[in-house]
Formats: sequence, structure tokens, C-alpha cells
Amino acid sequence: MSKNFFEVKNVDFKVGGKTKVANVSFAIEKEGDVICLLGPSGIGKTTILRTIAGLEKIKKGSIELKGNVLSSEKINLEPEDRNISLAFQENSLFPHYTVEKNILLGAEKNKGKKDHQVSFQEIIELLDISLILNKYPHEISAGEAQRASLARSLVTQPDLLLLDEPLSNVDQSFKEEIQEKLKKILKSSKITTIIVTHDSYEAFYLGSKCGIILNQELKQFDDPYNVYHLPNSIEVVNFLNRGTLIHAEVTSPKSLENKDLGTITGNFIKPFPIGSKVKLLVQPEDLHHDDKSNLKFEVVDRKFRGTNFIYTLKTPSNTLIPVFVHSHHIHQHEIDEKFGIKRPIHIDHIVCF
Amino acid sequence: MKFNSWYLSSFLISFVVLIPVITVFSSFFESTSNYYEILKNTFLMEYIFNSIILLISVLALTFIIGTGTAYLVSFYNFPGSNFFKWALILSFAVPPYIYAYSLTAFFENYGTAFTILKNLFGDANYNKNIPKFDGMFGAILSISFSLYAYVYILARASFLYQSQNLIDLGKNLGFSKLKSFYKIILPAARPAIVAGLSLVAMETLAEFGAVDFFSINTLTTGIYNSWITFDDLAFANRVSFFLLLFIFSLFVLENLSRRRAKYHLNSKGGFKQKQKTKLFGKSSFLAFIFCFLIFFMSFLFPLGQMLYWTIKFPENLFDLQIIDLVLNTLYLVILSSLVLLIFSLISNYGNRVSNNKSLNFLSTLSISGYAIPGVILAIAFITFIAWLDDSIIKSLGFASIKKVFIGSILGLVLVYFIRFYSLAFNGIKSGYEKINISVDESAYLLGYSKRKTFMNIHIPFLRNSLLFIIILISLEIIRELPITLILRPFNFETFATTAYISASEDLLEAAAVPSLFLILIASLFIIISSKYILKENNE
Repeated sequence: MSKNFFEVKNVDFKVGGKTKVANVSFAIEKEGDVICLLGPSGIGKTTILRTIAGLEKIKKGSIELKGNVLSSEKINLEPEDRNISLAFQENSLFPHYTVEKNILLGAEKNKGKKDHQVSFQEIIELLDISLILNKYPHEISAGEAQRASLARSLVTQPDLLLLDEPLSNVDQSFKEEIQEKLKKILKSSKITTIIVTHDSYEAFYLGSKCGIILNQELKQFDDPYNVYHLPNSIEVVNFLNRGTLIHAEVTSPKSLENKDLGTITGNFIKPFPIGSKVKLLVQPEDLHHDDKSNLKFEVVDRKFRGTNFIYTLKTPSNTLIPVFVHSHHIHQHEIDEKFGIKRPIHIDHIVCF
Repeated sequence: MKFNSWYLSSFLISFVVLIPVITVFSSFFESTSNYYEILKNTFLMEYIFNSIILLISVLALTFIIGTGTAYLVSFYNFPGSNFFKWALILSFAVPPYIYAYSLTAFFENYGTAFTILKNLFGDANYNKNIPKFDGMFGAILSISFSLYAYVYILARASFLYQSQNLIDLGKNLGFSKLKSFYKIILPAARPAIVAGLSLVAMETLAEFGAVDFFSINTLTTGIYNSWITFDDLAFANRVSFFLLLFIFSLFVLENLSRRRAKYHLNSKGGFKQKQKTKLFGKSSFLAFIFCFLIFFMSFLFPLGQMLYWTIKFPENLFDLQIIDLVLNTLYLVILSSLVLLIFSLISNYGNRVSNNKSLNFLSTLSISGYAIPGVILAIAFITFIAWLDDSIIKSLGFASIKKVFIGSILGLVLVYFIRFYSLAFNGIKSGYEKINISVDESAYLLGYSKRKTFMNIHIPFLRNSLLFIIILISLEIIRELPITLILRPFNFETFATTAYISASEDLLEAAAVPSLFLILIASLFIIISSKYILKENNE
């Protein structure tokens, strides 16, 4: 029997006989933990949630909740018997009931449970849907429907809450606020949650752990910090798109040499023999700007991100390197101008492949 | 695949509905009497020729009337346009056979036209100057004025969904109104119009009452005669087989065009509400006259004729057991609607939860019952019961079941069920298409069982669709003639059979009262349902 609160063991997630994600294993250790599954659209994230909810079956491995097997080759507990709630990405509100009635139907399921940590009223206020309670699903926007659907799932106080792209239809301006509120609700109600998203910022903010699903596999399941700074494969680096891989040669246990950047020092996450030819991950925050430096590269692009600029520099060997600069930096560099990189270059975690 | 009770129920229902089709097709391999040889050398070509002439003419006329009126009320504002919008559907209340009686009653020698002329201009022999609308021409007019509403409703729905952007694009390209109509509006509505015409074609080929009244020999009357006169069920089924093949090709065409019609629905973002053009002067008058003429010819004229005769011969009103007829009709309507709704709901839900391809295919095939003419269906049903009785029931030593199913309410309701199953099934299906599957899944995750989801989520949501389906079924049953005529219990009459029997005995005046009641009751149902039809079209 598993000691974890929730566990997926060696499961092939399939839909219509076709494998979407193979041989997946991950666990949620404690009740109340929130994890996120991250991956590009169509990769099979929703299939994972649907299978956990009991809407799809498995033929290999097992899914366990609180030590009980929910799904395995031989066992398949019906969705209505699992006490798992799934908030769908699309509008799944009952069309002939008002928003309030929809949410109350969720509350009905919750009747008789001991812990009512978050009340109906609290959820309504937190998700800011008090004004649409008397409206029918067709009378509200997609974002409002998504929040109402989320509220319905939350009031059921399930053992496990599954959220499929919960904020994909919510306005950008409102998204951060809802994210904060959602995090607060999940924490105060201690609802164990799996959130599926393709937005890495959302996953890093909401999840205590993140799983990266790529090419039919769960590539990495780790803390958000580690997923970002210590990716375990080139595919994860490429998916997160927060850095570039440059050719380098290991020159000592704490340094490498790149023909454009010169010597780079730091701590290797994984040791490589001296003389190894590797691909080094360089993230925008790894390099620092210095107008006085004699290591200068040509600016080929500049993205303004509010708090900072991301400059894309072209090295003499035609490698493109991103560099963060605070947006209050004294002067801006135009495209085609030269941009200085501070030396010596030191990277805290050296990630090589 | 999950083999559950829902799947099994759905499978059984679809299979039962398919029995007549299987019976007709299997009869192809049976031997027939000499009648087939006689007919093949004599009238068979005439049957086919008449059926084709009837079909082509009715299609042409219903296309012109249906599309023309739909175009006018959808794109223009003129006096009465809002009234005609729904009033033009009222022609459905007049079945072709009642239209045929009205046409004959008005134009026959010393008929209503003669009386009007006599009252206006005094005594004279007007008979030779009054045109006679009988025979093939009469049948074409009767069927066209009764059925054009199929084209009208579907074309109008399609016109309504056409975005103003399309019309504006035409203007931008410098098209005249006429050119816009031919180049943009009509092609965009083509699938809907073809779908409407396919329905007209199926009904025309299946038409029995009007063609029988005008003594036109078509394949359908041929089937009826071979059964009634020569008692040759096998031959009746063989002719049915050919007619069915023809109808099925039309059915496929209709289905294909419906599938294509999806491409013509506008996405949320690109749709722009159409602005109707206000007509003035001559064009306004012409539009009004055209619509009024169609409304008058298709509804007011037969209604007026039947009303006139009822007033002129009031004794027929008292001779008729109206209460009995109303009760009989209500009995059939309530019983059939209940059976149809319950089984169509189970079948639809079974399909939805099973999500099984072969079951889906079987269901699609089973709804083809609507394409089978009532005459064929009734005869196929008798054939099947006779075979079941002779081959299985009797050999097992049980008493004959013929009396239970033939000439009984049970048999009648069962065949109505097969005939109108597609109406109920498709109606519920289109209601179900509006419920996203994630709604069901949300219900399961809220702890609802499949039964509770069906009862607490689906039924309340489908309530309006179910009401609409009941109205449509009622309308069809009130108008239905051949099945009722063949399978009704002894001395059990409806308005339709009473009218038919009087008319076939050349007592047209006596046929007027039941016809009038039929029109009035059907009109009431249409007026109620027109609200739903218009709502469906977002008006």
C-alpha cells in the first residue's frame, strides 16, 4: 500500500486506444499539496486528468488515493464513487440551471462531510461571481463560466481536485488576482489539487511540484525552482524556452570554455570529465550587462517586458544569447548596437547535456 | 465498449424499428404470383412514369414557392411580412388528400366556382369555362401546396443564418439584387434547400391519398392495389423494394446535404445580423401579393371550401361522431407520443453513454423508417407478423398473434412508432447535441449515477425539445392516412380515415366536416409549434 496521499504508478494514459502519455509515475505526498502538470497543447494533460477522475480507463499500472486503488488493470471505480472533482476547461455548467443552482449542486455532494473549511459564500466572494449567480450559463462570458465551474468544484470539498487549464479563459488583467485567490482557497481548504496548464508561470506559482509532459512522457517531476534552473533534458529546456544551449568544453571540475564567451565558472549539477564537449544552458539571468566590458556582442532583438528588457545578442559564431537587463537601466541599446557582457562569467548552477 | 443495459435497450429499439426495412428487402428473394408478370407487361412502366412526372413537377413547384416566399420574408419588410413569416407554415395543416378534395369541389361541374359565378352573373352554363384541376395536374397542385413548407422552413432558416457580411460583400462587388440572389444567397442556402426538396421528394413518392383520389397510378398506389386487389404481399413488397431503393438514394442525398450544411453555419465572431430591406410602392405590393396568393391557395382556399360545405350541408356535422373522433385521435396521439418519446429518449441516451460505432450505425439506419411510405410500412408489418405467426408462434404451439397486432391499436401504435421514430429520435438528438459531453461527466463527478444524470440533468434540459416533438408527432398522426386505414381496428375511425372513406364513396360534402376539423386541429398545433420554429431561428 502506498504511503503517499495520491500516487500514479507506471500508468499508460490512453484515449480511444491511442496512448497519449506512457509509463507515468508521480506522487503527491501530503493531503493539501498542489501540483501542476505542464506541457504543450494536445500532449495528453487532459487525458491524465480524465483518467484520474475515472472517465477513461487504464490497462497498465495503478492510480491510488488515500491508499485505495481507484484504477488498475482490474479495478475501475466509477467517477461518481471517487470523490474527485474535475473542473473542465470548456463550459461544463448545466445549461438549464442558473450559476447559483449549478454551484449548489456541487455543495449538495458536500453535505454530511465533516470539514467545511471554505463556505459557499467565501468561494463566491473569492472568485468574484456574486453578480452572475442568477444568470444562466449562456448569459455569462467564458471566463465567468470557468470561474463558476471552478466554484462548483471547490464547494464539493473533494479528496482530490483536478483543474484543467482553470484560468485559460480568464482575462489577462484579472488572471494574477484570480491566481492569488485560488492559491489562498486551496491552501485554506487543504484540498489536494492537480492543475493542468500550458502556462509555466502559472504552474510555477501555484504548484509545489511541477510535472513536464513532452513527447508522450513525463519528462521531469520536481520543484518549480529545479524544473526551471535544473532542467533534466534538452526537451525541457526547449519547452520552457528560457535559455539557449551553447557549445562548450569542460576545462576543470568548476569551469568550461566557450569560444565566444571565454571562461565560465560555476558548480556543475552533473559532473563531466575534463575535455568533454558539452552543450551548456545559458539562461537570460546568467549573464550580466556591463557597458565597460570589452566582451561585446551585436544586439539583434530587444523585448520590453515591463520590469526588464530581454536582449538577444549574436555572437561571432552566430549563436543567439538572451540577457536580462532591468528596465531602469540607464540607457537602452538599439538593434545593431554593441552590448557588453560582464566578465568573469560565473553561473551558479551549470547545467550541461 | 461498455456492455450495459443502456446499450442493450438502445440496440433493441433500433433493431425493432429496422424490422420492416429488413422484411421489404428480404422479400426480394421470394416468389410472387402471376400478377407480377401481368403488371410487368402492362402497367408497371406507367406506374414508374407517373411517379417520376409527379416527382419532378412537385419538386419544381415547391422549389419556386418555398424558396420564393422564404426569400421575401427573410430579406424584406413589406405589409404583412411578419404575419406571412409564420402563416406560410399553416399549409402543413392541409394534407394533400384534403387539398385534392377542395380542388375538385371548387372546380368540378356545378361545384363552388360554378355557384359563385351563378350568384354573380346569373344562370348560364359556366362549366365549360371553368378549368378542371384533376388527374395528374390536380395531384401535382395538391401535393405542392401542401408540402412546399418543407422547403420554405429550411430555406428560411438558412437565409436567416446568412450574415449581413455576405450581402455587403455582394454590394461591394457591384452585384445587383438579382445577381446577389443567384450568386450569393441561393448557393449559400443550397444545402438547406436540397434538404427541404429531399423531404418533399420522399413525401411525394409516399403520397397515397391525393394520387388515389385522382386515380393516378403510381408505385405507391400500385403497392396498395397489389395487396388489396390481388392479395399479393410478396409482390407489394417487391415493388416497395424498388421504391425504397429510390427513396434511400434521396435519403442519402438529404443526409449528405445536411452534413454539408454545417459548413454554412456562421462562427460566433463573423456573424453580423442582417438588416431587412424595406420595400415601397410596386415592389412592396408585388411581394405582398405573391405571399398572399400562396397563403390563400395553400391554406385559406381549402379551409374556406371545407367551411363552406360544412355550413352548406350542416346535416353532415350532426351525422359525424365528432366526440368519438376527437377521443380516438387523442388516444392515438397520447399513446404514440408516449411510446415514441420514451423509447427515443432511451435510445438516444444509450447511444450517448455507450459511444459505440456499430450502435451509432444501427441507429442511423433505423431512422430511415421515415423514408418508407406508410403503405409499404403497414404492408411490411403485416408480412412480418404473418411470417412470425406462421413460422414461429404456431409451430411452437401458441395461439395466433395476428389479431393482437393486425387491426388493433397495439399494431397501429407500433407502426406509427416505426414511421415517426426518426422524428422523435432526431429531435431529441439535436437537443442532446446542445449538451456538451462534459456536462454528463461533471454530473458523474458530482456523484450522479447514469440514471440520475438522465432524469435530473437531461430530461429537464430537453423539456422544450420534447414538447416540440410531441406537437410534431401529433400533427403527423392527425394527418396520417394509409397506415391508419390499413391497420386500424374495426369501426375505429380518425378524422383522416372518415374523410378518405367519404371521398372514396364520392361523398365529398361529407368529407368536408372531418377535413375541416382536421385542418383546425392541425393549425392549432402548428401555431403552437411555430413559436418553437421561430425561436430555433433566433427570432
